[in-house]
Order: sequence, then structure tokens, then C-alpha cells
Amino acid sequence: MSIDSFHTIILPLKDKLFRLAYSIVREQAEAEDILQDVLLKLWNKREEWSYIENLEAYCFRVTKNMALDKLASMAIRKTGVIDPEKENLFFVDNRSPHTEMERKEQRSAIDQGIEALSENQRLVFTLREIEGMSYREIAETLAISEDLVKISLYRARQKMKELLSEFHKDEK
Amino acid sequence: MKSEKIDYLLEKYWDCETSVEEEKELQAFFLGGDVPAQFQQYIPLFSCIRDEQSVKLSDSFNERFKNILEGKQRERYVTIRVFKPLLRFAVSVLLIIGMGVSFYFISKQDNRSHFVETFEDPNAAMQHATFALEKLSYALRKTEAASMETIHFIDELDINWAALDSLNKINLSEMDRVKRRD
Repeated sequence: MSIDSFHTIILPLKDKLFRLAYSIVREQAEAEDILQDVLLKLWNKREEWSYIENLEAYCFRVTKNMALDKLASMAIRKTGVIDPEKENLFFVDNRSPHTEMERKEQRSAIDQGIEALSENQRLVFTLREIEGMSYREIAETLAISEDLVKISLYRARQKMKELLSEFHKDEK
Repeated sequence: MKSEKIDYLLEKYWDCETSVEEEKELQAFFLGGDVPAQFQQYIPLFSCIRDEQSVKLSDSFNERFKNILEGKQRERYVTIRVFKPLLRFAVSVLLIIGMGVSFYFISKQDNRSHFVETFEDPNAAMQHATFALEKLSYALRKTEAASMETIHFIDELDINWAALDSLNKINLSEMDRVKRRD
């Protein structure tokens, strides 16, 4: 595989890889750093590309692993810190329906719901809902079986459904 | 879109039976506005998905990464430029040394054939050959005489060979008997 592969296969993936990294670390700058590291790592390993069966899936796997490593190191720094903007949303007293504030509150709860998912569920949910990947593509990317992909997505969606139903009950 | 179809698609969606296209259809419906009241509770989920889809790299990223990549390529070029003349020089030196050593050994090599004519006079050669053969003949005669002397010595000992042979036979039959007994 030639160096052109970097421009034709890997660089067009950068937005998707960035979104995957972002979905894990939830910070723009950190996600961009991860993407930069991933792209440089791939560039430095360009002689090995011809031995990689599915280069696209490999890129996603490298991004996922680097993002999870970064998240682990970030967790130490972030303990106990709540984003001031989100803090306002977590403790709102105004629960009157059809207000912008309630929308934000719901959105924040969904964000928290996604963050509360297990690692596999969150990754599968991201790749399916955000990137629109098929079950097979997700299985190859995460190096897991298609059945496990379906089970993880089913559980993630059921949790989202429960979360939305709870909100609906509270509104009533 | 009819409410029945949305209900049907939503049920499929929760059970993970929808295709990617059907999921896009659902998303378009929930984000398109004019959503019936019974479905409004699901809007936040689809708007959250849309927001996640619209997360983008900052504008400066491409430029930044391009610069890093160009820097890496330049680094590589500089490395080659620094080492290339050195490599050429090393190869030249090795080649010269190799050629010098080869010439030295070739010039020192003994090119004479194994059989070199040393006599010019045939009579002298004949004399040398006769002398060598006479020496060989003398040595053979000496060894023959020594062998004959030994044989005469043994004959003079007057050994009874028949008795010795019979002793040997007795010993063999004794040994057979002992073996059988064991």
C-alpha cells in the first residue's frame, strides 16, 4: 500500500475518528490531541499497512484504545469537578414543561445516561447512532461478535427508553 | 408520516431491528418539527444524536497536522542529506581497501606449476633416479632379511603345534559345557 493510502483512506476518516474520541473523552481539545496522536502513529507505521486486513477498522480500534487510555489519565485529574454550565442544569428547580430550561435538563440527563453506559454499550451506541455503521462494521471495528454488538445496542437503547419514560412520567 | 408507522418503527428501533435507513427516517421525523404530542418525549434523544453527529474538528486542526507531517518529512530528508555523503565516502574507502588487499594477495601468489623441471642433463637425471631406486631396493632387502631371520628363530624353537591346537579345542569344549550348566 502506498503513501497515497494515507490521503485516500485514513485522512477522510479523521472526522469519524475524532467523533469517536470525543464520544469517549467528551472534550474537544483532548479529542483533537488523541486524533493527532492516532494519525501520527498510523503515519509512522505506514510500512505495516499492507499487513493490516481492515485498515479502517484498525484506525477505529487504535482511536478507541488511545481515547480510553486518555480517559483513564483524565479521570485522575477530573475527580469531583463539575462543569459549571452543566451544574446549573443538574440542580434546576424550574420544572415547568415546554421551557427551554427543561429541554436542556433532559439533554443533560441523556448525556449522563450515555456516560453511565458500559464501555461496550457506549461505543456500540456511538458507532451506530452517530456514525450509522452496520452491525458487521461495528463488530470488526471493536473486534467483538455481531451478537455482542446487538446485545450491547439493545441494552443501551432500552436504558435510553427508560430514561425518557421517567422524564415523561415526571412531566405528567 | 403516519403515527402508526412511527409507532411501528419506534418499536423496531427499541428492539434493534431497524435498518440504518429506517433509523435515519426516524431521526428526520423527530427533528423535522411538527411531532405529535405522544412522540415528543423522544425528541431529546434524537436531537442529542444530531448534536453528536455535528461535532467537528476545529478549523486549525488540518493546518496544524499538515505542519507536523511536513516537519516529519523534512526531518527525514535532512537525515538522508547528512548521511548520504558519509555513506558514499565509507563505501569508496571500503572499495579501495578491498581492491588493495586483493591485489596484494594476487601478487604474492605462487604461480609456479607443481612439477617443475630441475634437470637439464638427462644423464644426471638418470643417475639421480638410479640412486633413489637403489636406496629403495636396499631398504626392501634389509626388511626381507630381518623377516627371514625371525622365521628361522621361531622354527628353531621346536614348538609342538599339534599339542597347542588340541589345547585350544579342549578349552572351547570346556567353555561350552560351563555355558550349558549356567
